[in-house]
Amino acid sequence: MAPLLSARMGSLGVNVPSGIVVGISLVIGLAMVIVFSYTSDQKAIHVAKDRLKAHLLALRLFQDQIHVVLASYGRIILATGHYLRLAFKPLLFVIVPMTFLIVQLDRYLGSVPLSSGQFFLLKVRMDNPDSLDQASLRLPEGLISTAPPVHVPAEKEVGWRLVANKAGDYVINVQIADQIFAKRVIVGSGLPRLSSVRLRGRFWERIFVSGETALPENTFVEGIEVQYPARNITFAGIEWNWIWLFFVLSLAAGFLFKSILGVEI
Amino acid sequence: MKLRSKVGLADRRRLSVFLALLGFILLCPPRSHAYAGPGAGFAVLSSFWTLLIAFLYSLYAFFVWPFRQLFRLLRRRNAYGKAQIKRAVILGFDGMDPELTERFIAEGRLPNLAKLRGQGTFRKLRTTYPAISPVAWSTFMTGVNPGKHNIYDFLARDLGNYLPYLSSAEIKGPKRSWKIGKYTIPLGGARIKGMRRGTPFWHWLGDAGIFCSVLRVPVTFPPEKFSGVLLSGMCVPDLKGSQGTFCLCTTRPSGDKFREGGVRVPIQRTGSRCSSYVPGPEDPLGGGSGDELRVNFEIHTDPGKNQAGFTVDSASFTLKVGDYSEWIPVKFKAAVGFSAHGICRFYLKEISPEVEVYVTPVNIDPGRPDLPISHPVTYSIYLAKLFGPYATLGLAEDTWALNEKVLDDQAFLAQCYANHEDRERMLFDALEKTQQGLCACVFDTTDRVQHMFWRYLDDDHPAAREVPRDQRPTVIQDLYARMDELIGRVMKQIDEHTLLLIVSDHGFKSFARCVNLNAWLHQNGYLALKSGKTESGDWFDDVDWSRTRAYTMGLNGLYLNLKGREREGIVEPGAEAEALKDELRGKLDGLVDPASGRTGITGVFDCDAVYAGPYVDNAPDLIVGYGDGFRASWDSVMGKVTSQIFEDNLKAWSGDHCIDPRLVPGVLFCNHSISEEKPAIVDVAPTVLKLFGLALPGHLDGKPWTVGISTSRSVAPSTAS
Repeated sequence: MAPLLSARMGSLGVNVPSGIVVGISLVIGLAMVIVFSYTSDQKAIHVAKDRLKAHLLALRLFQDQIHVVLASYGRIILATGHYLRLAFKPLLFVIVPMTFLIVQLDRYLGSVPLSSGQFFLLKVRMDNPDSLDQASLRLPEGLISTAPPVHVPAEKEVGWRLVANKAGDYVINVQIADQIFAKRVIVGSGLPRLSSVRLRGRFWERIFVSGETALPENTFVEGIEVQYPARNITFAGIEWNWIWLFFVLSLAAGFLFKSILGVEI
Repeated sequence: MKLRSKVGLADRRRLSVFLALLGFILLCPPRSHAYAGPGAGFAVLSSFWTLLIAFLYSLYAFFVWPFRQLFRLLRRRNAYGKAQIKRAVILGFDGMDPELTERFIAEGRLPNLAKLRGQGTFRKLRTTYPAISPVAWSTFMTGVNPGKHNIYDFLARDLGNYLPYLSSAEIKGPKRSWKIGKYTIPLGGARIKGMRRGTPFWHWLGDAGIFCSVLRVPVTFPPEKFSGVLLSGMCVPDLKGSQGTFCLCTTRPSGDKFREGGVRVPIQRTGSRCSSYVPGPEDPLGGGSGDELRVNFEIHTDPGKNQAGFTVDSASFTLKVGDYSEWIPVKFKAAVGFSAHGICRFYLKEISPEVEVYVTPVNIDPGRPDLPISHPVTYSIYLAKLFGPYATLGLAEDTWALNEKVLDDQAFLAQCYANHEDRERMLFDALEKTQQGLCACVFDTTDRVQHMFWRYLDDDHPAAREVPRDQRPTVIQDLYARMDELIGRVMKQIDEHTLLLIVSDHGFKSFARCVNLNAWLHQNGYLALKSGKTESGDWFDDVDWSRTRAYTMGLNGLYLNLKGREREGIVEPGAEAEALKDELRGKLDGLVDPASGRTGITGVFDCDAVYAGPYVDNAPDLIVGYGDGFRASWDSVMGKVTSQIFEDNLKAWSGDHCIDPRLVPGVLFCNHSISEEKPAIVDVAPTVLKLFGLALPGHLDGKPWTVGISTSRSVAPSTAS
C-alpha cells in the first residue's frame, strides 16, 4: 500500500510524507472544528473573546487613567484564564483520541529507518551496573558489530556500534545470562512503523515512546534502544519536523473551516 | 449492603484517581504530543498574543505616563490645579418633570431624590425656547442660546423648496462615484456634517487635561474629536438613514401605509414555513435608483408550542409569541466589498391564524459601525465587546410602532427598559473609568415613556377614556421610582469631592388636544391653497406660495414667507415683516379652543427677543408656545393644512413638552447647595467649567452658579421605602 501510494504521489511531484501530513492536517482541522462546535459553549466563548478585546481596547481608550490600565491588565489575565477554561473544555473530548493519533503518527512520520551502511548504536540499560558485563548480542544475518561493547556503569548502560549490510526488518537478540531479549530494527526506506525503544514496565512512557511489547518484568533489563534519525519533511521549501508542519497546517485548516462553518474558537 | 457500598465508594475513588491521573498524564505528555489539535492551538496562540499585547501596552502606558504628565505641565495644562471638585457626574433624565417629581417625592416613591433635595439642592431648571430636546441639550452642552448653536427643532426647512431636513446632521453620499453601465461605484464613504455649532464644554475640559466620558447626550452626532470618550445619542440615524423605520412583516394583506416611522412587508407562507425580509439601506451601487438592500429571513411556526424558529443570515433562534429576540446582526450585501452592518431585534406578535413579526429599526452595529457613532470610533466597539450589541439609534424606543398599534404597551415598555439597562451598564462602566473628570450620561427612557403613557396619568385623556381609572397602569410612577433607584446606586459610587447633578432638559404636560396652526393660518388668510383645494397634502403640497405669508412646520416654529429668503417669498423684510409678526402674535397669543374653552396658545415669542447670535437668521420667525394640554397637531408638524384647527389627540403619544417653555421647566438636583433661585439649563456648562477651575469663554450666555462645595459631608444613598 505504502509503495503504491508513494509511486502515485511521486508521479504527481508530491513528497509522500508531506502529502500525508497535509491530508491529515486538513482532515483533523475539519474534524476538530466540528467537534469543537458541538462540545463547546459557543456563546460563552464569543462573550469571553469579546470581553478580552474590550479590556484590550480599554488600555488604549483610557491610557491616561493609570488605575484603568492596571485594572484592565488584571481583567485581561482573568479573562484569558476564563477563555482558556472554555476553550480547553471541548479539548477534553478530543485530547485522548488526538494524543493517541499523534503518538501513532509519530511512529511513522517522526523518524526515518536506518540506511544500509549507516552506523548506529544499540543501547541496553539495566537495573544493576554489575550485570553489564553479562550482556552479549546475537545479531541476525545482515547486521554486524563494528566495535567491542562500551560499558557506561554510571548510566547502567552498555552499547554496541552496529551497521547493516542491506535493507531489512531485523530482530536483534540481547542475551544476559540465560535470558534473551529481542529488539526490532528496521533498515531501509519508506514509511515503516518505527519504535526506537523497548521498555520494561513504565506503562505510560511505553504508550508514548515505544511501539513494541514490554520487556519481561522479572529481569535486569530496563530498556533496549536504537536511535533512528529524525525525519525532516520538505514543505514549501522548508524542512519541517512533522509535528510542527501538522501544527501549522491544522491551524490553517482550522482557521479556514471555522470561518466557513461559523464556529467560534 | 454496607460492605458493598463501601467497596463501591472505594472503587469510585480509585476510578476517580485513575481518571485524574490519566487526564494529568495526557495533559502533560512528553514532547510534541502536547498538541491536541487546532482548538488548543487557537486558544494558546490567541491567549499568548492577548497577554503579550496587553503586557506591552501596559508597559508602554506606564513609561509614557510621566512624560505625558510632564508635557501637560509644560503646556501649562495643570488639570485640577484650581478645581473645586475632583469629579462631576451629570445624569440627564430627558423630560423629568419637576411637578411630578415633587408629587412622587411627597408620596414617598423617590427616597434618593428626596435625600438629595434635603441635603443638597432641588430647583426647577429653566429650559430653552422652544422646550425641545435637541435644542435644550445643545444649550446644555454649549452654554449658549440657540442663536449661537443653530438648533431650533428636530427639523429645519430648505428655503429652496420648503421641505424639511434633519437640523442636527447632514448625511450625503460620497463626493465622487464611478458609473459602469447600470451600476454606480461609490468612491469614498458617506459624508456627514454636523449642523450644531458651538463648543461642548467637555471640549474645554479635555483641552485642560480633564478626562471626560460622555454618553448618549443628544445632538452629539456626528461625534467630534476631543480629549475623552463619547457615545452619540439622539439624532444618530438608523441604517436606512432615517430617525427610525420599523418593519412589520405580516401575512395579513393590507394596502395601508403607516403614517410615518414604519413599513409593512409581506410574509410568504407555505405551510408552517414563512419567508420575508428586513428592508435595509439604499443600494449604493444603484446610482440613486432607490432600490433597497434586503436581508431575507425564514420563520418556521409551531402553533402547538406557540412559538416560531427564525433563521436570519447565520443566526438561528426561537421565539415564543410576545418575546423579543436578542440583537441579531444583519449584513446587507450590495456586492463584494459593499455591505452595511446593522443589528435589529425581532418580536413575534402572532403565529395563528396570521403570522406577524415586528422588526425594530435596523440600528448601526456598534461593534462594526459603518458610520461614526462614537469618539474615538473604538469606544462604541469597546462597549459592544464589553456588554454585547446595544441600540445605537438616537430615538431607539420605537414610539411610532406603539402609536401605530404595531406594538402594545407591554412590548414597547420591554423595549424601552432593555435599552435603558444597556445604558445603565455603560454609565457604571464610565463611572468606574472616570474616577477624576467628567462623567455625563443622558437617559431618554423618561422622555419616551412619558410621551407614550401620559394618557394613564391624565384624568380625561382622549386616548385613554375607555380605560377605567382603577385599571390604569402606574407606568410613569414606576418609571420615576426606577430612575430614583438608579440615582441611589450612583450616589453609592460618589464621594464628597464629586459634584452630582441630576438635570432634565424640560418637563412634561398632557397632550390631549392638537392644534393645526397651518389650518388656522389658512382660515385666517395667511396661508393660501391652490385654487379649488380645501386641504393640502404633507409638506405643503397644494399650497400656493405666491399668496402665502406665513406657514409652520416642525413643532413650534412659525415662519414668514419672506421675500429674498424663501424661494417664493412675498413678505418684504423690515417693516412689513415686523408688522406681520406683531399681527400674528396678537391674534395667536391666547387662542382659545372652542370645544374646551381652554387657552390653546399661551405665548408667541419673537425670535429677535429670545435669540442672539450668528445663526439667528436660521431660526423660525416666531416660536409658538402652546398651552397645557395642547400641542402642534401631527398634520401641522408635517406641513399639512387641514380643515380642523383643534382636534382630540387619540394616539398613544399622549404627553408632550413642545409647548410654552415657561410651563415645562426641567429639574435640577445637586448633592451640594446651589444658591441661585432660578437656574437655567444654559448655566450648566459655565458652572462645571468654573468648578473645574477653568476660565469661562466670553461668548457663553449661561452664568455659573454659586455652588457650596463642602468636602466635609457627603450625601449617602437611601433605599426605597
